[in-house]
Amino acid sequence: MEHPGPAIAAREIFRDYGERRALDGFSLEVPRGGVFGILGPNGSGKSTFIAMLAAMDQPGAGELRVLGEAPSRALRARVGTVFQESSADPLMRTAEYLRFAGRLFGIPGGTLSQRIPALLERFGLADRARDPVSSLSGGMRRRLEVARALLHEPEILLLDEPTTGVDPEERQILWDTLGEARGSTTVLLATNDLAEADAACDHVAFVQAGRVVAAGTPAELKQGLRRDAVRITWPGATAEELAVVAGWRGTGEILRSEDIVHVTADDASALVPRLFELAGREIRGVSIDSSSLEDAYFRYVQRRVGGSK
Amino acid sequence: MSALAAITTMAQRELLNIARSRSQLYSSVLTPLLFLVFLGNGVSSGLQPANLAAGNFTAYLVAGTVVMTSVFSSTFSSASYFRDRDNGVLRLLLSTPHHPRVILLGKSLAGLAIGVAQAMVVLVAAAPFVEFEWQYGVAPGFAIAVSAVVLLNLMLTGVAQAFASRIQSMQGFHLLMNLALFPLLFFSGAFFPIDGLPVWLRVMAFANPLTYAVDAMQLAAYAVGGEGFIGLPIDFAVLGTVAVLVYALGLSRIPRLTHSGQ
Repeated sequence: MEHPGPAIAAREIFRDYGERRALDGFSLEVPRGGVFGILGPNGSGKSTFIAMLAAMDQPGAGELRVLGEAPSRALRARVGTVFQESSADPLMRTAEYLRFAGRLFGIPGGTLSQRIPALLERFGLADRARDPVSSLSGGMRRRLEVARALLHEPEILLLDEPTTGVDPEERQILWDTLGEARGSTTVLLATNDLAEADAACDHVAFVQAGRVVAAGTPAELKQGLRRDAVRITWPGATAEELAVVAGWRGTGEILRSEDIVHVTADDASALVPRLFELAGREIRGVSIDSSSLEDAYFRYVQRRVGGSK
Repeated sequence: MSALAAITTMAQRELLNIARSRSQLYSSVLTPLLFLVFLGNGVSSGLQPANLAAGNFTAYLVAGTVVMTSVFSSTFSSASYFRDRDNGVLRLLLSTPHHPRVILLGKSLAGLAIGVAQAMVVLVAAAPFVEFEWQYGVAPGFAIAVSAVVLLNLMLTGVAQAFASRIQSMQGFHLLMNLALFPLLFFSGAFFPIDGLPVWLRVMAFANPLTYAVDAMQLAAYAVGGEGFIGLPIDFAVLGTVAVLVYALGLSRIPRLTHSGQ
C-alpha cells in the first residue's frame, strides 16, 4: 500500500457551489508523516478541501491524489476524518459508539475489543466508556472523535478545526495525545488558530479565497519578517498615517485588520515612541512580541496596506 | 469489507436506539390500542352498524388499526434520519467506505422490523378480545396477516425514506407524512367498508395501496367468505408491486448533508 510520493497532491482544484466559488485553483502538496496545517479565514475553502480528501465531495476541475490515488469510498478505509461538527451519536455509550464506527470501517470484533480500550485509555476516556456520549463534555467529545478517526489506523488523519470550542487544557491533552500518532500517520489540520498551528505543525499552507497563497515550514514562512511584531490598537488610523509609518527606516510589513494595525520592525523600541509622536491620542494600546506565524499569516492572507523596505 | 456486516451494524444500532426511546415505542402501540378499544366499542354500542359482513365493529376495526400502527411506526422510525442529520452522525455514516445505500438499507430494515413488530403486537393483543373468524384457519390466517403487514411496512418505510431524504425539518416531515398518509388511511376500508361507498370514493379507494393491506388482513382474520372484498391474489399482487417499487425509490434517495450544499 505504501507509495513513495506525497501523502496528498492537489493541482489546480476548482469547485463551485452555484454562484459561489469555494476552491479557485487550489494547489498543495502534503509530504508523508508529520502535521501539515491549512490556515485560512472562515469560508476560505479549508472544509471543502477536507471533504474532497474524504471523498465526500469532488473537484469540478483539477487533479487530486490521496496516497497516490483519486479519492474514493474504498480509500476512506485508509483515511480518518474528524469533522468540524460533532459526529458522535449522543444516544450511544462511549465505547459502544467506537464499536459501531469501527464495525462500519470493517474492523473485526476481536481487533476492536483490543483497540477500543487502548484508545479510550490513551485519550483519557477509559472511565467514561459506559457513559452516554451525551454526558461527555465538549472537549471529551472531541477526544472521542479523534479516537474514532484513529480506530482503523489510518495513514492520513484529517482534522477539520478539531479544537473549536475546546478549552486550552483540553486542547493541550488532545495535542499531546495526537503527538504519539504523528510518526506513522500524516496529520492534515485545517484551522484558523494560528498559535495552535505554530506549535503543532511541521508544515503550513495559508489559504485565502479558495487558493493556497503561501506554503512551507513555519520557519520558512516567518523568514523575511522583521524581528519584532508590534500590534497597535489604532481605530482611526488613516492611509496617510500608515504610509508615513511605512516610510520609517526599519519598518517592515504594515497590515490592518479592522481596528488593529500589525507592524513588523527591526527595533520596536525605536518605532513605538515615533508612533506616539505621530498619533498618540488615537492609539489605544500597543503590544510587542517576537514575529510569529500570525505575523506571517497576516503578511500573506490579510489585505496589505504598506510594503517592506 | 462486507456490506452485509455494515447493514447488520446499522440495523443493530437503529434497533438499540429505538429500544432506548421507550416512550416512543410504547405510545406507538398504546395509541392504536386505545383507539381500537374506545372507537370500536363506542361505535359498536352506540351506532350498532348493520352493514358489516360479519362480527362487530371492533373486530372490523382491527385491520385498520394495524395499518394505522404501521403508519405511526414508519413516521416515528424515520425521526432517526433527522436525528442523525442534526447530531452530525449522518456525516460519519456518509464518510465510511460503504455506499450510502448500504447505510440506508441497514437503517430501513430496522424501521421495517420495528414497524412489523408493533403492528403484530396490536393484532395479537386485540385478537383474543374480538370475534375473529380466521376463515383459512388461525395459523394460515396469521401468516397472511403477517405477509400483508411486512409488505405494508416495506412500502411505508420507502415512503418515509423518500420524504426524509429531501425534507430538512422533522416538523415538515411529520406534516407531509400526515398529509399524505391520513387521507389514504380513511379511504382504505380501515374504518368503514368501501363496497357501499359512492363511485368516486371507491375509485379513490382502489387507487390506494393501503386498501389492499386492509383487505388482505380483513380476509385473513375477520371475513366470512369473500363477498365485498377484493381478494388475496389481487391484494398481494398490488401491495407487493407497490411496496417493492416505493422501497426501491426510498433507497435511491440518498440523504443530503446541509453543509456547502452537499
